[in-house]
Amino acid sequence: MKFLVLVVNRCLWFLPTVLGLMVITFTISHLIPADPIAAAAGENATAEQIAALRVKFGLDQPIYVQLYRYVLAVAQGDFGISLYTQRPIVFDIATRLPATLELTFVAVLIAATLGIPLGVLSATHRNSPLDHVLRVITVSGLAIAAFWLAILFQLLFAMKLGWTPLQGRVDGWGPDSVTGFFLIDAVLMGDLEILQDVAAHMILPAATLAFPAMATIVRFTRAGVLEAINSNYVMYEEAMGFPRRIIVWKYVLRNALIGTVTQIGLIFGILIANGVVVEAVFDWPGLGLYAVSSILQSDYNGIMAFAIIAGVIFIVVNLLVDITHGLIDPRESR
Amino acid sequence: MTLIRHRVTHTVNRLRSIGLAGLSGIAVGIALTVLPITEVEAKSKFVFANSSAYDNLDPHIVFDVGRVASRINLYDGLLRWEDNPPQLVNWLAESYSISADGKAYTFVLRKGAKFHDGSPIEASDVVYSMERTIALKKGASALFAGVVEPGTTKALDAQTVEFHLSQASAIFLATVPEIHVVNTDLVKKHEKDGDWGTAWLSSHEAGSGSYELKRYDPAIGFTAARFADHFMPWGKKYYDEIDFRTVVEINSRVLGLMKGDFQGTDGYLPQDQIIRLKAADDIAIYEEESMRIFYAAVHNGRAPMNDINFRKALSYSFDYDGFITNILSGSVARDPVPLPNNIWGAPKDVKGYTYDLEKAKEHLAMVKEPQRELVIGVLAGYNQSEQAAALLQNGLSKIGIKSKLLIEPWPVVSNKMRDEAQMYDLVFLWKSTYYADPNNWVGEMYNSSKIGSRNNSWYSNPEVDKLLDEALISTDMKVRAANYEKAATMVMEDAAGIFVYNTKWFGPFNKSVQGVRFCPIGNGQEVRWMYPKG
Amino acid sequence: METLRFVAGRFLQDRVALIGAVLILLLVLAAVFAPWLATHPQDVSEFHPADRLQGPSLAHFLGTDRMGSDVYSRLLYGARITITIAVIAISVSVLIGVPVGLVAGYYRGWFSELLMRVSDIFLAVPQIVLAIAIAQTLGPSIENVILALSATYWPFWARLVYAETRSIQNEVFIEASIALGVSPLRVMITHILPNIMSSIIVRTTIGMGGTILTAAALGFLGLGPPAPSPEWGRTIAESREFLPDAWWYATAPGLAIFLVVMGFNLLGDGLRDILDPKIRRSRTHDR
Repeated sequence: MKFLVLVVNRCLWFLPTVLGLMVITFTISHLIPADPIAAAAGENATAEQIAALRVKFGLDQPIYVQLYRYVLAVAQGDFGISLYTQRPIVFDIATRLPATLELTFVAVLIAATLGIPLGVLSATHRNSPLDHVLRVITVSGLAIAAFWLAILFQLLFAMKLGWTPLQGRVDGWGPDSVTGFFLIDAVLMGDLEILQDVAAHMILPAATLAFPAMATIVRFTRAGVLEAINSNYVMYEEAMGFPRRIIVWKYVLRNALIGTVTQIGLIFGILIANGVVVEAVFDWPGLGLYAVSSILQSDYNGIMAFAIIAGVIFIVVNLLVDITHGLIDPRESR
Repeated sequence: MTLIRHRVTHTVNRLRSIGLAGLSGIAVGIALTVLPITEVEAKSKFVFANSSAYDNLDPHIVFDVGRVASRINLYDGLLRWEDNPPQLVNWLAESYSISADGKAYTFVLRKGAKFHDGSPIEASDVVYSMERTIALKKGASALFAGVVEPGTTKALDAQTVEFHLSQASAIFLATVPEIHVVNTDLVKKHEKDGDWGTAWLSSHEAGSGSYELKRYDPAIGFTAARFADHFMPWGKKYYDEIDFRTVVEINSRVLGLMKGDFQGTDGYLPQDQIIRLKAADDIAIYEEESMRIFYAAVHNGRAPMNDINFRKALSYSFDYDGFITNILSGSVARDPVPLPNNIWGAPKDVKGYTYDLEKAKEHLAMVKEPQRELVIGVLAGYNQSEQAAALLQNGLSKIGIKSKLLIEPWPVVSNKMRDEAQMYDLVFLWKSTYYADPNNWVGEMYNSSKIGSRNNSWYSNPEVDKLLDEALISTDMKVRAANYEKAATMVMEDAAGIFVYNTKWFGPFNKSVQGVRFCPIGNGQEVRWMYPKG
Repeated sequence: METLRFVAGRFLQDRVALIGAVLILLLVLAAVFAPWLATHPQDVSEFHPADRLQGPSLAHFLGTDRMGSDVYSRLLYGARITITIAVIAISVSVLIGVPVGLVAGYYRGWFSELLMRVSDIFLAVPQIVLAIAIAQTLGPSIENVILALSATYWPFWARLVYAETRSIQNEVFIEASIALGVSPLRVMITHILPNIMSSIIVRTTIGMGGTILTAAALGFLGLGPPAPSPEWGRTIAESREFLPDAWWYATAPGLAIFLVVMGFNLLGDGLRDILDPKIRRSRTHDR
């Protein structure tokens, strides 16, 4: 029952939160110093034409009417026309979203497969040299600027050693698009060469993104495991003579992972934030790069669309994490 | 992991279900990326790495030189610029005539010319293309403002089109290549809410050009296949397929070229990269003096820049040699006037200004207006614009003038440059070749009738105006050349701007590429002349 | 006094926190004494095109940049910008966040709900996303970076102070003060605030690191102070064109950011252990 209340409560808050986000982006976009209408109208527009466009875009209406229309439009997926490409922004973003999602998945996968075992080891071998080394690594992961790490990776692996491509998602056109996820599409095509190429392009950006995420996972797994080890029932099991190894893997890990799972929201925040600069450095044709080129082109509509979509993804992930947490952690719904 | 994946797919679903409009947009997006590719075997392919993104293919919207490849390879105009120095040649037009008063231009189209879908190119398509260009107010439309009014262009018959200019214009012919002819029926079919088909044409093609669009993704680039039925006869050898890709990172372009992944890339690489490429075995570097001048537009209408002595102080405070020799490693040619060195009408043997702080101080001492901090505009994302501005700032501080840089993206810069109050005190930028006539530079930049549109300097000199106006309507090449020479020299003497250099083009191509023809307008990217060796 | 000595003793024993403090001290010294430490202090605004892109040498410890300026000297002046941005942005965030959290935590009612919901909305989006939107709209400058960061970071303190206030509100001494008729403002300032100070200090220390990273990212994207500012993020962006040859150009400012952020993170971790005995047993929790 408590769990149901939690779920309903969370879902009820979803809409106001997204609505609040839209109010924020609306407020920001109406602070714009330069006149977007004059830009959209083109070089030779007369004062009358600009005035007509103002009416057309509803900028002559009172602020609350504009806000209402804005929210209504965004809710229908209409982010307006890109002032630069002249296409609907939703179209531009739709073609780029798969690239970002694929990179994010791979980064999370790397971060989790490395981070969880390392976190467990760090906890079970507390204060050992291994623990100290891991601690240095995790502290570094959270202190390093993602764009700088990306550049260092490029400098070393792509420029000096020539092991990986410097940037981009694939050489040329990549696999026939079915899912939009190039790794999966390459497998579907059965084309090993393309798969290899796609993977080679993926390594550096994914590793850059995964590093701080992994640091977070190691930290929380370690903490969770330590807490579980120190808890009463583990001591009890230990006193009962169960082998330590089994206790750790069977009992402790399960409980410790609850803590790790709840950190996925935090990890997603890291991935979205760093995604912008990492995509910019690796020229990865995703959402982040779209945001960066929108910055360069002063395409306010594009920036606001990015803020809303990145925000909504983050909010949804956190919503799901909360619900999952309630599901798997009995303490939460007590 | 499955858990996480499940969540994110859920996120996607959530995003998708935001609304019907969003859904359809995404569907279009997916459909676009699923565009079929025709398998070609052992066909020759020309791959070009471009620094800017082909984010829009509409030939009436896009007008910059960085994205010229889609216009010049997929579309045709009545006339076309070729070679360097640029020559105007008949293209879709077989012949043309000009009325005695210089106001009516009649073009006769080639017989049998076809669009990519096989339908004939008719005079009505030219009319529609002209109207569309003017109506969209983007791209090349500025060239026709005040010259071609909507509704004045007529198709006399299927083969003949007539332009009626509002006033005689010596440069109209030079701008005709920018009227890219689109397939009227095809565009109209995809028109939505009176948008002239802009949404559709941004990612599709409706042309007749030497190559036919096969695949397009704004994030990647485009590929196109040779259009065998093109109205201009093909040579014996050619490339079957062209592939223009966006590769932003300079290092990637250079590495890809050296590895043989690309056959060519843009000709404006930093000089140290050119040196690197010259050392490579398979690379040939073509060197040409282009027509793209780099200068600072100075706001002549605002104090203290309205004082000629202050402007001269500015011109003497820029380290031309340090910029050209050191920062750009001598990859450009010093050009002291608002005209490319290599175009007719450019004055020869003018000295121009040098970096001379003593002279700058002398002129500054004669300025009566009170000093203040100057605002120097800079194009965001263009290192050269930034470096030049910083260098000028450096020189100015030595003669006691304070300044600050304001780095803004091009759309903002171009908006501000058209507003007297918002225009920067000065701003560093390029003026490229839109049409190869001196009027493209000194005529547009310093005629007072263009103040607020393309005269962004608020410079007004009746003598210069007279020379430029006369040159604009005269049909006598000698008069025109003499006038432009005089006008350019006067603008230079007035120190109306800080004129720095004219660009050299260092076109890096794989040695297997033959037949490269460079023209400042097409930037050496017109592939129909190229062919693979052997 | 006793507690202070206790904390100081603890601090000196905690090597990690000490390393962090030393790194921060170095940053502050570099910033304050930049004009004296710099070998070419004039190079912040002066250029020597003939000397561009030279590798590290005795004349230029960290080489020269694209304008021929001394990378080392510019790095020192960059520290000033970093400190200015981080200190002001964090101060503003604390000055907004703490009162909001106190008020929302002390009072109950729709106004408290509203305050917390607004801060939740800000927290619902990664900071850099909104910071980009704000900085882009306002234009690139130090002031606007500070504004963008302040506008997006204050809710962290509001949330923290809110939760802490709620949790100690029922403690006897607070209830006693209220019963004695002490004014709410006084209760908040003299009773609640001192008790939650340690949490605020820890959060602020770690927040400094995050702010510096976000500010550098904004600079890298071209949304920070304009050229020829020696801001670290934009210096890295400038340097990319000259890789792989001019490796020193990109390496130096990145390393500086790394060390400084590391310093704040380590100090924050250490302070938490020292100031918050509740979680002393395992150096684990992040929030």
